[in-house]
Parts: sequence; C-alpha cells; structure tokens
Amino acid sequence: MHGYIRIVDAVNLRVGRVMMYGIFALMAILLWSSISKAFFVPSLWTLEMAQFVMVAYYILGGPYSVQLGSNVRMDLFYGDWSPKKKAWFDLFTICLLIFYLCVLLYGAVSSTAYSLGYWGSEPFSYLGGLVTGAEELGRLERSSTAWRPYLWPIKAVIVLGMFLMLLQCISEFFKDYLRIKGEAI
Amino acid sequence: MSYELIAILMFSSMMLMLLTGQRVFGAIGFIAVVAALLLWGDRGGFDIGFSAAMKLMKWYPLLTLPMFIFMGYVLSESKIADDLYRMFHVWMGGLRGGLAIGTIGLMVLISAMNGLSVAGMAIGSTIALPELLKRGYDKRMVTGVIQAGSSLGILVPPSVVLVLYAMIARQPVGQLWLAGVLPGLMMAGLFIVYIVVRCWINPVLGPVLPAEERNIPRAEKLRLLRAGLLPIVIFATMMVPFVNGWTSLVESSAIGALAAFVAAVLKGRMTREVFENSVRNTLGITCMFMWIILAALAFGAVFDGLGAVKAIESVFTERLNLSPWMILILMQLSFILMGTFLDDTAMLVIVAPLYVPLVGALGFDLIWYGILYTITTQIAYMTPPFGYNLFLMRAMAPPEISIRDIYASITPFVMIMVLALVLVMIFPGIATWLPDYVYNKQ
Amino acid sequence: QSKITWRMQTYAGAALAAEVIDPAIKMFNTIAGDRMQIELFYADQLVPTGELFQALQRGTIDAVQSDDDSMASPTEVTVFGGYFPFGSRYSLDVPVLFNQYGLNEIWDEEYSKVGVKHISAGAWDPCHFATKDPIRSLADLNGKRIFTFPTAGRFLTQFGVVPVNLPWEDIEVAVQTGELDGIAWSGITEDYTVGWADVTNYFLTNNISGAWAGSFFANMDRWNELPEDLQTLFRVCCDQSHYYRQWWYWGGEANLRVNGTKLELTTIPDEEWATVETAAQVFWEEIAAESETKRRVVDIFKKYNADMVKAGRPYRYT
Ligand code: NA
Ligand code: NA
Repeated sequence: MHGYIRIVDAVNLRVGRVMMYGIFALMAILLWSSISKAFFVPSLWTLEMAQFVMVAYYILGGPYSVQLGSNVRMDLFYGDWSPKKKAWFDLFTICLLIFYLCVLLYGAVSSTAYSLGYWGSEPFSYLGGLVTGAEELGRLERSSTAWRPYLWPIKAVIVLGMFLMLLQCISEFFKDYLRIKGEAI
Repeated sequence: MSYELIAILMFSSMMLMLLTGQRVFGAIGFIAVVAALLLWGDRGGFDIGFSAAMKLMKWYPLLTLPMFIFMGYVLSESKIADDLYRMFHVWMGGLRGGLAIGTIGLMVLISAMNGLSVAGMAIGSTIALPELLKRGYDKRMVTGVIQAGSSLGILVPPSVVLVLYAMIARQPVGQLWLAGVLPGLMMAGLFIVYIVVRCWINPVLGPVLPAEERNIPRAEKLRLLRAGLLPIVIFATMMVPFVNGWTSLVESSAIGALAAFVAAVLKGRMTREVFENSVRNTLGITCMFMWIILAALAFGAVFDGLGAVKAIESVFTERLNLSPWMILILMQLSFILMGTFLDDTAMLVIVAPLYVPLVGALGFDLIWYGILYTITTQIAYMTPPFGYNLFLMRAMAPPEISIRDIYASITPFVMIMVLALVLVMIFPGIATWLPDYVYNKQ
Repeated sequence: QSKITWRMQTYAGAALAAEVIDPAIKMFNTIAGDRMQIELFYADQLVPTGELFQALQRGTIDAVQSDDDSMASPTEVTVFGGYFPFGSRYSLDVPVLFNQYGLNEIWDEEYSKVGVKHISAGAWDPCHFATKDPIRSLADLNGKRIFTFPTAGRFLTQFGVVPVNLPWEDIEVAVQTGELDGIAWSGITEDYTVGWADVTNYFLTNNISGAWAGSFFANMDRWNELPEDLQTLFRVCCDQSHYYRQWWYWGGEANLRVNGTKLELTTIPDEEWATVETAAQVFWEEIAAESETKRRVVDIFKKYNADMVKAGRPYRYT
C-alpha cells in the first residue's frame, strides 16, 4: 500500500510538473494566432491546437492538482471535523468519486476505439487486440475542421489522464485508510 | 417516477453529497453518471460523462481561464502592486478612513488586471491588512473592505465569471465586460461612501495618518503616481485590441497574461519562487475549475434530458402564475441563498442553465442579467459557510482576527452589495449604457 | 404494451429548430399518443455534434436530424452531405437526386454498413456568406475567418478563406468576440431567424450551393424494433418536415432579400464567380478520385446537371 502510494504520487507529480508549463505552450499558440492574424493570413490550426493543449493541461494536470489539494470541498460541516472523522467520510465518498472516474474512463476508452475505426461494443478487447496484432486499425476519425487533425491522439491523452486520475484517487483512498489506522503516510 | 421527481432527487442527493465534504467535482460527477445509468442504462448511460469532455474542449472561451488566473497570480506573487499601495497610502492618508478608501481604489485597479478575486484578496491581506491594523484601523471594517473590494475582480473587466456566464447565456463577452464597468465603479463608490460616513461619525475606526508619515517631498509624491500607470498599461494592451476587433477574446487574454509577466520581469520581481508559485497555482486552480465544469456539464446534460428546465419554467409561469419581475426577484433570492453554501462554478453550471433561458423567455435583457448574476456571485463569495473570499481571509488573516470578526465584517458590505443589486435592477442603464454606447457606434 | 420513448437530437439550435423540426415532432407525438413519444434535443444539448454519430451508433440517442458532413459520419458519402460545392442549384434538386437518380440506394448501403438506418434526405436553404465587411470580389474573401461546413470549408481555402468550426450555439458570440469574420452556413432566412443578421452587416447573393442536403437517421436496432405503422408514421413526419422547409426557405429567402433591413446585399460579378464554379468541377474530380463510391455519386451529380442543362428553362437559364 505504501509502495503504491509512493509510486503513483511520484508519477503523477512528474506528469503534473511537466503539464504545469503547458500554460506557456497555450500562451505561445494564442500569441502566434494574434500575430499571424494581424500580419499574415490567420492560421487554420491555432484555435483547435489551443483546445488540445488545454485538454492535455487540465486532464493530465488533474492528478497533481489533487495532490496539491486544489479541489474545493464544501466545508460547511467538513471543516470542523477531526482529521480522523474526515478520513472516515472520505473513505466512503471517494469510492463514489472513483466510480465516476471509472465511467468517465470507460467512455473515453470507447470513444478512442471509435476514433481508431472500431464500432463494436467491446472497446477494451479491441484496443488490447490492437496491441497484440489481433485487431486492425479501421477508419481513423478526423476533426471536422479544415485542418482535419486525427482525433485519436487527444482522445488517447484523455484516456491516459483519466487513468492517472483514477490511480491518484485510489492512492487517496489508501491514504485515508492509513490515516484511520493511525499510520504515518 | 415522474421526471420532476427524478430531477428533485438528483438535486437533493447532489446537495447531500456536497455536504459530506468530498471534492465538489466528484460529488457532482457521481450523481450525474449514476442518474444517467439508472435512466438510460447501457443506452447512453456510459457516454454522458465523457462526452462532456468533448463538449468542454469546444468551449473556446474557457481558454481564457488559465490566462486570467495566471495574470492574477503573477500580480499578487510578484508584489508589483506594492508601489500601487504606497501611492494610495501617501495620497489618501490625510483623510479620515483614507487608507481604507485607498485600499478600495487599489482593489479597483487590481480588478482591472485580473479576472478573479484571488489576486485582490492576496494583495489586500498581505500588503494592505497589516499596514491598516498597524495604523489603528478597526479590524472588522478593514477585513470587510478587503473581502468586498477584492470581489470587484469578477465585476470589473476582465472577469472569468462573466466569461463562464457568457458561455451559458450565449451572450457576447465583450458587451458583458463593458456592462460590468459602471456597476463596478458604482459599487466601489458605495463602499467609499460607507467608509467616509462611518469614519466621520466615529473617527476612531479610521484615524488620520500622522503628519510625519505624510510629509514627503512633492516630487516623491508625484513619482509614486506613476505606479498607477502600470495597471492602465496592462489593461490597455489587453482591452484596446479586443474592443477594436484586432484580436479575439482568447488572444487578448494571452496578451494580458504576457503583459503581466513582462511587467513583473521588468520590475525585477520574477524570482524563481514567484515563477514557481504562479505557474503551479495556475495549474491547480484551472484544474479545479475545469474538472468541476466537466462534471457539471454531464449533470446538466442529464438534467436537461429530463426536461427539468421546462418543468421549472411551467411551475413558475403556469402553476404559480407569477409576474416576470416577481420571478426575477425570486430567482435572485434563491441564487443568494444557494450562493451562501454552493461553490460559484457549481452554481453557475448547474443552476444558471435552468434560470437563464427563463430570464430570456420572460423578456429580460441577458446582458443586464449577467451583471445581476455577477453581483450575486460576489455576495456568495463572502457569505458563510462557503465562500472563496471567506476561505482566503481565514487562511491569510493574522491571528488577532477571529472567525467571528470575519463573519461580522462582511455584514455591512453584503448590505451595500444588495443595494447595488437593487439599483441595477431598478436602473438597468447602469449596466447597459456603456456596452450600448460602444457597440452601437460601429 | 409499454410506451416507446425515443431521444432525438437535431443539429439545429433551439431558435431554428422551432421552425425546421419542432412542428414535425409535435405532430408525431400527437398522433402516436400513448404508443410512442419522441423527446427532441437541440444542437450539442445531449452530445456535442462531433460525437453525434457515435452516440447514434451506440444508442445513446435513437434518432438524429443532421447532415452527414457536420456529424462526420464514417461513410464514403459524408462529403456530399451539407453543402457539397455547387452540388445543387435549387432546393428541389435534392429530393430528385435522392429519389429519382439513385442516391437513396447508395446512402442506404453506406449507412447499413455502419449500423445506422438512413430514413430520408431533404433540402434546406442555399449557402451564402454573411459577413461583417462587404464581399464584392473574390479578393475580399482572402483571410476571412468563416464558420462553415467541413467540406465547403475545404473547398473555400483555395480562395483564402480560413474555415473555422465551432459549436453552432456559439457562432453569434464568436462573431462578436472576433473569433469569426463571418458565416457561410445558411441562407438569409436563417441569418435572420437565429440572430446572425444582428452581428453581421453584409450578405453575398452568390451561393456556393443551392441547397443543403441533410437527413434523418435512426439507430438500426431501435428502428427495427418499431412496428411497421410507427415506422411509416415516422417517415411521414420526416417528409412533412422536408416539405415545410421547402416553402419556408424558398419564400423566406426572397422575402428577406427584398424586405429585410439588417443586411446589405452585395454581389460578385458573374464572370468572376465563374472561376469558383470551374474550381468546383476540379474539386469534384478530386473527391471522385478518392473512392469507388464517391465516383458513383459524383457521376450522378454530373448526369443530373447535364440533364438539367438540356432540359433548359426553367431548370437552367445558362
Ligand atoms: Na476583473
Ligand atoms: Na457563500
């Protein structure tokens, strides 16, 4: 349990620290957009690229923001509870959060499978099959803009981010458990 | 089970989940996907959560969110507002309550440089608060001044809250921002009147600065005035190209963020630590907003799918048979009530989609309503038990200020905000005159 | 027997849907009564338009009103939905192409492959530019950021147009926030109906297509589950919607050009506009070269246009 917490937190910390600088990538794209618009022909790709960067920024940065404790809670009662009581409540309610993340992840995986040309109802086995070579790529989904980027990369990023978020929340679950047992984390 | 009942059940179980203190996005998201699965099973129950992510990706004005948050952190972390504070200190110190009045002025200028109230709170409580307390100002009054003053950040453009409102109400951000200018200044004016009157009645609340502190050379005094140029320059580099249509909204926000960053570098304040804090906090706050909106969009889609909007509309107009103004006033009251214990993002994304179409259908101007909405949010920021400014004040205030002081401090200011709300309701021109003037001359 | 409930999403926003789809669905619900009800959702309400096709395929939603192009359906005929450049001149061309020239069969084949029922295609309005600044020559198109359909956008890039794709409901605001310089998504009726005429100043009378082609679709399993009489009723109501749009747009376009006060009309001279029409022929060939099915469709378009020219007035005046 300690090992899991250490590894997951370390991975998400690194990922988050890298994504943190995404703000400058976003800024650069938007500045290029205004420059190209003012002096040349407006770029086709800037707005959509900025949207992709933003998605990566907040989805992949999500687990780190959980570590930072940035996610607000309503502390009408919660604020006055003892650490142990907080941990007890969290232990239960974080399971609900984990459930939400599982549903999100399932949707993301099936949408990613779709973007790779799979239209069936077993997205996980399809993606597994892709890795082992049992399945083939189908029609690749493209964005319906003039730039027409393929959509699987950003969807894959979302899958990865939601998976990391899931791992992080399981780590939080373990931490609550340890807190209740009175162990150091 | 009728759809109305399901809608009520969803809403109340979400409130219950929120009360357990779990992260807001988790509470909302869980109810959303469970409701979707129960209602639609495998025929769509699994997709609602994720398709919100794709919807969110396409909401381009949200690109401004990290930019304005970054701007705010750069301003507060780099302390480039210190000079501004000194300017007000020296120029206003001679009046009764002058420093408090100066703090309001400071908050207005900071509001024009960032889109949230966080920067104002940070600057107010780290720079202004200790000085005010040292000079013998009444602690309850000054805590209120800082909380109320910093909340102007979301009313005076640029404003993140108005960007989010614009997304939901489908109204132009530019006009909404302009609509916020006069009400923002009016509210600042009302705060000042309040301070002047109270200090005039009871000078102990805001003593005049000792003469030796004010006795500095005129040249030095004039030099300090230059500090006021910085916010004007940052505001102008962002707003002028935008209002003239040279750059789009999201591009302007990037220019504003860059301008704040460059200003901090030029003033030599962009240390490694400031840089680290600004970048990290921007990620944290942006993620918080985005994950809440992600969950709330799914919640909204399910709610919408139930026809809850139509149900509420018919309750108001047909069953209760209320006049448009009565409905509007009821809505504002319920908003204020919800604002006391709901997070403003959750409030906006869940409740506004129910109310805004109704406001439009009743024939009210949605630009004007955006301002009413924002003032209500300002009130929500300050009212216990849940409010950002309240939290920040609790976290940043020195030990001699108790929670009781903080709660007591906001009462008069909340009353002033309600007064401002009423004034804007009675005289819509306060909000609509400026956008009408600017956009109709084209 | 319990009541059947369908969720249907249209790609039109609420203001437009009030004209082009609400009446037909209301009619369906009134007639079907306790046996079946359709709940209608507007653009991006349940799922974003980009995800619409997947949602239909999986049964998140049961039926869709959209063009193939906007919802990016993974078929060979996608590019011909919406506004295929110069694919039609009048709104009657669309049902003729589908019912008499064989497009119905091709669409049916293509959508059956991906598990979706193609119910019927109909025409909407022509595709015109509504812009903040006037367009009086092709040079005026250069560098304009325009909200338009994917395939039309691809075609227009050769004239310097920068196509932008945003959620339908955000367009009015995007023009005001400077994200867009104009719109090439509809005729003048829609510009007035949905509020775009309030944020733009000029309307170009030349169009790049005489009629939008879009369809009703249903999830294949849901469709097959319907008893035959409800299938028929659904088809009849779709046809009613197609018919309503025929006269609503045709009359509306003329009326607003003549009596509208919000948009000033501009025109690119015929000789200059001919270069765009020629470019469209090249574009057709490019598309046809992409696959066998696309070749079949392009050939049908060519045959149809040749027939119309031979038929002479009133089918074609040049
Ligand atoms: Na502001
Ligand atoms: Na509150």
